[in-house]
Amino acid sequence: MTTTVPTSRFALRVSGAHGELRAALPTTLQVNVGKRCNQACHHCHVDASPTRTEVMGDDVFEACLDVLARTPELDTLDITGGAPELHPRFREMVARGRALGRKVMVRHNLTVQFEPGFADLSAFFAAHEAEVVCSLPHYTEDATDRQRGRGVFAKSIEAMRALNAVGYGRHASLVVNLVSNPVGAFLPPPQADLERDTRQWLFDHHGVVFNALFTITNMPISRFAAWLQRAGNYDAYMARLEAAFNPATVPGLMCRSLVSVGYDGTLYDCDFNQMLEMGLNGGLPMRIEAFDLGRLRGRRVRTGEHCFGCTAGGGSSCGGALA
Amino acid sequence: MPAYFDDKDLAHFGDLKEHNPELWTAFERYYVAAFEPGLLSKREKVLIGFAVAQVSQCPYCIDSYTQTALEQGLTMKHLAEALHAAASLRAGIALAHGLVAHNVDKKISM
Repeated sequence: MTTTVPTSRFALRVSGAHGELRAALPTTLQVNVGKRCNQACHHCHVDASPTRTEVMGDDVFEACLDVLARTPELDTLDITGGAPELHPRFREMVARGRALGRKVMVRHNLTVQFEPGFADLSAFFAAHEAEVVCSLPHYTEDATDRQRGRGVFAKSIEAMRALNAVGYGRHASLVVNLVSNPVGAFLPPPQADLERDTRQWLFDHHGVVFNALFTITNMPISRFAAWLQRAGNYDAYMARLEAAFNPATVPGLMCRSLVSVGYDGTLYDCDFNQMLEMGLNGGLPMRIEAFDLGRLRGRRVRTGEHCFGCTAGGGSSCGGALA
Repeated sequence: MPAYFDDKDLAHFGDLKEHNPELWTAFERYYVAAFEPGLLSKREKVLIGFAVAQVSQCPYCIDSYTQTALEQGLTMKHLAEALHAAASLRAGIALAHGLVAHNVDKKISM
């Protein structure tokens, strides 16, 4: 049976500038190992929290590493969650990804370092030269704590100091980057400006260093969408994203260069589609066990109105601004 | 008319063009050019706009420039500093005008 999916306003907008949105060659395997997190941030698109129980099972875990082993074009393993460190085999995934010669990125919320059994996390990251991507919405305590919870800023600074102490931000092979999401219903500032201000403030006031800062737009889905609705901001925020559509961001959209894997092994165009349970378009491999790079390259990307979050202003991706 | 100020009106600011397109277009060019980064950064100019909006007590401009300032990476902590700087200057201006009374008193009182 063939079903007709209504064309989204986003798809129409993209097609006007670039034609149909299609992936290039996937070079990143982004693996979401589960939704459990030690925090429950207001902007979280995963709805992650300490009460979530979804976790990647052993079969899917092995399938991800098998795909990585047999697909040399995938040069990056991007591990996310939840707090991915809470997965019981997290360290094994990092170690095996590195043993396969891949760049391994970990989406790290910093505060997980203070959970029992995680005091040596910085040393573990350093030993495996994992690239650590840390959440820090703003260099001021007030703004960060409003988004991520009281006391998070102070803990985050302590965790950054631990990373710096083992060489992160100081040695070329130990890369620590920051991720900043706006603390509310507005677009991120110019990435270079915020990086400059953050670098100066964190060093002057806290003695903390980092490599780069990525700005990421809050996506109008899950917990953040619920907040937008409750606060009466949803319509204005969507209009803001759409009005700020920037066609120059389209070539760099992350859906064009990665494949996202859910904790249950389902494949998606990105982590946001994953949270909306929007699997790949019909006819493509739907699960990690059926991963086929040849068929995923050039695939049509599934889009919705939330995609305006990645194309607004300077653009947004897991690697920050796009234009 | 239910209210003199409505936040939905802000989006219709440009409707005023219909009454004098030529002058409106000239204003738009001037306004855009004045806020382009130069020796002052975009953010510095946005902060000036915010301070002027506050002391001019324009709700449309306060709304607009608060949002713009947040999108420049500033927080309400930054804006509060700008607000107090602007407000203290307004207080000083009010006090400075007291010199007129002071001088009048000196001149005509025994």
